[in-house]
Amino acid sequence: MPEVKVSRLSKQFGDNAVLRDITFTIADGEFFTLLGPSGCGKSTTLACIAGLERPTSGSIAVGPATFVDSGTFVPPEGRNLGMVFQSYALWPHLTVAQNLAMPLRIRKVDRRRQDELITESLAKVGLAELKNRYPHQLSGGQQQRVALARALVYSPSVLLLDEPLSNLDAQLREQARAWLKRLQAELGITTVYVTHDQEEALALSDRIAVMSEGDMVQIGTPKEIYETPATARVAAFVGRCNFLTGTVTGQAEVRLDCTGQTLAVLPGAAGDGRRVSVAIRPERLEILPEGRTAPAGVNVLTAQVLTGSYIGSRYEYDLRLGDHVIQVESNRAGLTGEVTLLADPSACLVYPTTDVLPEDAEALLTVSH
Amino acid sequence: MTTLSPPRPAVHPPPRYRRPLGLARESWLHYGVLLLLAVLVLAPVVPTLYQSFLDRPLYEAGGILSVDNYVRLFTEAGFGRVVLNTALFAGLTTLLSLLIAVPMAVVVVRTKLPGGRLFAAAMQWPFFISSLILGFGWITIYGPAGFVSVEVRRMLGFLPWNLYSIPGMAVTEAVALAPIVYTFCANALRQSDASLEAAAQVCGAGPLRILRSVILPMLRPPIVYSSILVISMSVETLSVPLLFGQPVGIDVFSTFLYRNGLQSISPDYGVLGAASAIILLVTVSLVALQAKLLKNAQRFVSVRGKATRPRRLDLGWLKWVSVAAIACYVVLGALVPIGGLVFRSFTLVFTPLQSPFRTLTGANYERIFTYPVYVQSIVNSLLVAAIGAVLVSGLSLLAVMVARRSDFRFARAVEYLALAPQAMPGIIVGIGLFWALAFAPFGLGTLVQGTLWALIIGFGLRALPSGFGSISPSIMQIGRELDNAARVSGADWVRTFTRILAALLRPAFAGALILTFVTLLKEYSPAVFLGSADSNIIGTTMLELWVQGNTGSVAALASLQIAITATFVGLAGLLLKGRNDA
Repeated sequence: MPEVKVSRLSKQFGDNAVLRDITFTIADGEFFTLLGPSGCGKSTTLACIAGLERPTSGSIAVGPATFVDSGTFVPPEGRNLGMVFQSYALWPHLTVAQNLAMPLRIRKVDRRRQDELITESLAKVGLAELKNRYPHQLSGGQQQRVALARALVYSPSVLLLDEPLSNLDAQLREQARAWLKRLQAELGITTVYVTHDQEEALALSDRIAVMSEGDMVQIGTPKEIYETPATARVAAFVGRCNFLTGTVTGQAEVRLDCTGQTLAVLPGAAGDGRRVSVAIRPERLEILPEGRTAPAGVNVLTAQVLTGSYIGSRYEYDLRLGDHVIQVESNRAGLTGEVTLLADPSACLVYPTTDVLPEDAEALLTVSH
Repeated sequence: MTTLSPPRPAVHPPPRYRRPLGLARESWLHYGVLLLLAVLVLAPVVPTLYQSFLDRPLYEAGGILSVDNYVRLFTEAGFGRVVLNTALFAGLTTLLSLLIAVPMAVVVVRTKLPGGRLFAAAMQWPFFISSLILGFGWITIYGPAGFVSVEVRRMLGFLPWNLYSIPGMAVTEAVALAPIVYTFCANALRQSDASLEAAAQVCGAGPLRILRSVILPMLRPPIVYSSILVISMSVETLSVPLLFGQPVGIDVFSTFLYRNGLQSISPDYGVLGAASAIILLVTVSLVALQAKLLKNAQRFVSVRGKATRPRRLDLGWLKWVSVAAIACYVVLGALVPIGGLVFRSFTLVFTPLQSPFRTLTGANYERIFTYPVYVQSIVNSLLVAAIGAVLVSGLSLLAVMVARRSDFRFARAVEYLALAPQAMPGIIVGIGLFWALAFAPFGLGTLVQGTLWALIIGFGLRALPSGFGSISPSIMQIGRELDNAARVSGADWVRTFTRILAALLRPAFAGALILTFVTLLKEYSPAVFLGSADSNIIGTTMLELWVQGNTGSVAALASLQIAITATFVGLAGLLLKGRNDA
């Protein structure tokens, strides 16, 4: 299984730049996810790897084979990749077995070997007994697995997955996710996965590339992406986050706009007087039990409980901090009135932008006095 | 996963596709389709334009370019009068067909109407009946010596209408074209959101108020669009002006060309070319305008996946008025003339003065079947329609594939070329191809000229937009991911088409075959220039018999053509249905 090298990839539709200078390398056998909101260019990147889009510039190579470079363009049929589409794209006039046979027939694999490969591939996805059904006779989850079997039957060098789980219902999606991860690990096939679902990306990937508006914003392991997001935008997109605007007042201090209070943050933030956003994950804010005192070196915030909701495994509280609403996760029930919050400086990430959230979302998070 | 084994070679490498002269095979196909369409579309146009500036027939040597033809067109040839007639005829036709069709669409689609579904189905009649046959039918019934006219004259002492006039022509043409307007308006009404009306109802608006304030404004785009379509169709039509206007000397565009090109002893090719060029300019601008409007209109039409079931309004006693009006249109406009024509084919004399039942006869049909020329014209029509339908549908399918499903650089050009014949009046296609064949290299022209192939090319070109238009929506419904899946699996463009899309497009192709067959069977106008004694078709034979005054045989041929169309559509429908059920 070869590595995938994408470098300086750009794609332009007229004046509109869909991809700008994208560079990344996927290691052999790695599960690599392109994550981002719709329109960020992740699907275009995948289509460029597949050969379904022709990039404006840049190069793409898989192992020793160069697919795209200046003057070179290998069409999709010459790349020997496997791909699962969002709609599964099973050919409706062919049975499951015939769907799997098509790529083998195109490759002129002999008849007996075809049957072996089809049976083997369907067994991998656990659908061997459905080989004579037509796609419309299958459930969504079965169709998705047939699509995967079809993409794997001819042993492609790389597997490309374009939001393959997005059409499944929530329950099935989680099971399919776990199953997909096991299958990929078992096969050890280099996999490029496209999704807008950050939970899916975190759960599945060896590494994640976060994209936004045609730019590659951050590449890293799920842990790196979640705990040290490179930009405020990544923090907002991957997982939930409270954003508090403020002004830098010292080496590792920010004065918050909402309360005027000074917060100790991770050192290394920009110079004095800079306007910044402090990002704190809801689960990193701790509600101090009554009668206990705060440990030293930890930020202490006083807030009022607005609403609390029970979401099964834990409680979520909307709290009022000055004129701002913040969210906190806790396993304590029934909190009301004034509470004391603890925030470790290491949980307070500082970003030099103040307009992280769209205006309407910002409006919902403001309380008038 | 981390073992450092050397990269394995692909177990099943994708096939290598041949690239003749370094170009992928789909590129050859794409350029081939583009070239074929360009030759077909330009063949009638370029010689026409060239001829319009040439001082002598274009096959004679030593021609000099000048605008003299255009000057003579308006001075000697009296083309100004023709322009005026055409404008009056087209304007009146459009107005009348809107008056007939718009209210009808509203009451049929949006109100509770007894027999509404029947009326909706009845609006499909022009699919089976050509305007030439309708013209014959109208003359048989409402002409100066028509069945109804004679009866009315006997009762009133005079005839309150004159069919052989511009208003008479316009009424007939409007009857023929009203279903087009109806279709556009009815579709718009069906697709529009019924909750708009519900909202008006909740606000307390009565049915008439809703009609006026909610439904009619919604109809503006389809009205504008179909008006332009009707204008351009009445500008190019030959049948009704030829049958009604020619005897009394009313010339419009098409009959001007017909008279100057066919009936004069030494046709003035320069004037003919200039007139054709001007007419082409008019029709091309109309079609361009129509395309632009449609593009704009689509921007604010919201067709939602969720089907809203429109609640139909109750018009009360007005609905009986509506039923009467619609029945009047269907019965008097189409049923009586066509039924009369069919009846006429079984009698010797057709007049209310003597019961037609007394002269019931099969002689009209006998005559047709005893003369080999007439039988031949039926066979020719069937041949042209059958071969033409296969070729046109095939070419349309390729053109749609290239225009909609390829990354070919000139995909748009392919689409425009395939739709361009919309703007080419049949008679100009005839004249232009006639010149093109006279001009063609390697003696190709003489090989084709006057044969059925000339007709197949001319008719086929005219039917190409319908073929393209009937396949194109089907391909848009096939998800692009199905192609992409095939491409990634190792199929090149050509193989994706043969292995995947061809099978999925089979129903659309069958639909295109039926549509183009019927279209080609009804077509005749290019044949008045392209045909010869050996390549007569039903349409041209009917015209010939009509000029000879042999109306009984015309009626018989017309009835045969209707019967053939109906049988074919019926059989094809059954066949397709059977296959879908299986």
